[in-house]
Amino acid sequence: MTLESILLNGLAVITTGLIVGAIFSLVAAGVTIMYGTIWFPNAANGQFFMLAALLMWSLVVNWGLSPFLGAVVVLTGSIPFSLVLEKFLVRPFYNVPNRNIVYFIMTLGLAQIFAGAFTGTYGRWSDQYSLPAAWPGAIMLGPFPFPRTRQNREAAILRGVDVRRIYRFSFVLAMLVITMGGVLFAMAYGFDLTMAWTMAIIGFAIMIVGGPGSVLGSVVIGMIFGFTQAVVSLFASPTLAAFSYLIVMLIILLVKPSGLFAR
Amino acid sequence: MAYRRAAVVGLVLLALALPFLFSVNRFYAFILGVTYLYILWSSGMNLLSGFTGLMPLMYAGLAGLGAYTTVNLVMKFGLSFWLAMPVGALAAAVVGVVLGLPSLRLRGFYFTLSGLVIQTALTMLFVYIPQFTGGDTGISQIPPPMIPLPGDKSFPLAGVWFEEALAIAALLTVYVVHRVTRSTWGRYLVAIREDDLLTEALGIGVTRYRVLAFFISSLFAGVGGAFYAHYMGFVSPRSFDVLTSMNIWLIVGFGGQGTILGPIVGTIILAPIPYIMQELYLYKDIVYGSLIVFTTIFLPRGVYGSVLFHRRARAAAHSAAQGKSEAARS
Repeated sequence: MTLESILLNGLAVITTGLIVGAIFSLVAAGVTIMYGTIWFPNAANGQFFMLAALLMWSLVVNWGLSPFLGAVVVLTGSIPFSLVLEKFLVRPFYNVPNRNIVYFIMTLGLAQIFAGAFTGTYGRWSDQYSLPAAWPGAIMLGPFPFPRTRQNREAAILRGVDVRRIYRFSFVLAMLVITMGGVLFAMAYGFDLTMAWTMAIIGFAIMIVGGPGSVLGSVVIGMIFGFTQAVVSLFASPTLAAFSYLIVMLIILLVKPSGLFAR
Repeated sequence: MAYRRAAVVGLVLLALALPFLFSVNRFYAFILGVTYLYILWSSGMNLLSGFTGLMPLMYAGLAGLGAYTTVNLVMKFGLSFWLAMPVGALAAAVVGVVLGLPSLRLRGFYFTLSGLVIQTALTMLFVYIPQFTGGDTGISQIPPPMIPLPGDKSFPLAGVWFEEALAIAALLTVYVVHRVTRSTWGRYLVAIREDDLLTEALGIGVTRYRVLAFFISSLFAGVGGAFYAHYMGFVSPRSFDVLTSMNIWLIVGFGGQGTILGPIVGTIILAPIPYIMQELYLYKDIVYGSLIVFTTIFLPRGVYGSVLFHRRARAAAHSAAQGKSEAARS
């Protein structure tokens, strides 16, 4: 290996690692906020991510919007969309015991609906979607204190916290963060529809390893996974990278289910 | 009781007779065969998801393991299907327990999530080792099982006889699940589902019974996978992906978890859908996905489970009213 190729590969690893890590961190932050506050394990996060990326593609390629304007439209659109979802799918279960498993099954169904809808619409038009090159722009979501009302809802209510409003706010925020990931993804890479399931699993893997509810954990682990992906893709199939996430996740689930960054 | 026994005998005879009635039309006979196959699968899953309270999202992956093991033994080593199928089923169950053993300590959502992880890993594995699975293109032209006859002859199990074999396999599965749930340790399983900490405190080895239920359930997954491969004549990793696991769960949940008849009712209503609306195959996922959302929100007990629940509630109200009137009279 010449010095030149080492440098080029190193540069590629750094840029790919940063961008992929940012995308992973965003999705995982969304997943972890949803699970940490609302106890809502969203199996459809990969599909929401894909929805954002596909809308981005439509707006830029079919409608001729600039990527910046497209991103603004998609991000704004996600707010009413998530408010509707919250009202009909999340809120009815606030008082159900073990609601996390009910939510999980329900969002699996939701994911199947979206997967079917995407193959029925976008799947007919193309099988690879890519935007004209644009500066991707990495977004970093720093760790920030987040109201944690899942632990003791009654206590929170007694202290005068409007739990429902915080839940609604967390849901909208989490969806916004996932949408951001999808927008960034569409800007940086060409993609196909199978990415949705992969992203859903990776989002969960990062959440479990980083610790459910910890935004810091999801950003750190997301970055680590992103760089792993970048390094592994240089030498071997990216499938191996995904495989390693799954194994790490299983190990953490068995050894320390509260995750590495648990508070 | 006598009336119930007559009903069961009638249903069994009907199940055995249907393949001959449907044999006039190959297409309907095929849908019937698929329905029997799904009765086998969903009853097997029900033992775990309904009676033990663990939702196994890796079920289709284990079915795939059983299918690929059997197909490889038959096509590469020339083994008879009837020898290869138990090996395949055992492989599915053993691998399932080895992979699932650690996660059996987990509960509720975390168990389901680790099931999703194992399922994803298995699907990736199926694509990754094409020498055993044919990769994404799959394996086609899988021969039908041969029935050995006295003398040196044998004839292929095809057409109506295959549906008949599937009917027998489905009936046997339902019978085994019924016997298991009526036995002592079947009741332990229900106790574990209702309150595993209390069950543990009573001195019942929760993990041991979970492993046992998991083993039997995976065995059925493998048997179903082997039959599926040889009935369809074609398998690919797509046949055993997470959507298949979810479809089988939906059948169990829609029919009624934790009841013997629930999965059968669910299968009869749901399994034929993708074959009947074949031109609309793109909408299959939307229909199934919507049904999952619908079931979790509006029908958590399932169709048959709701019927049972209302019947029991009415009987309870009736006996309570009777007790009251008798108390008033005395």
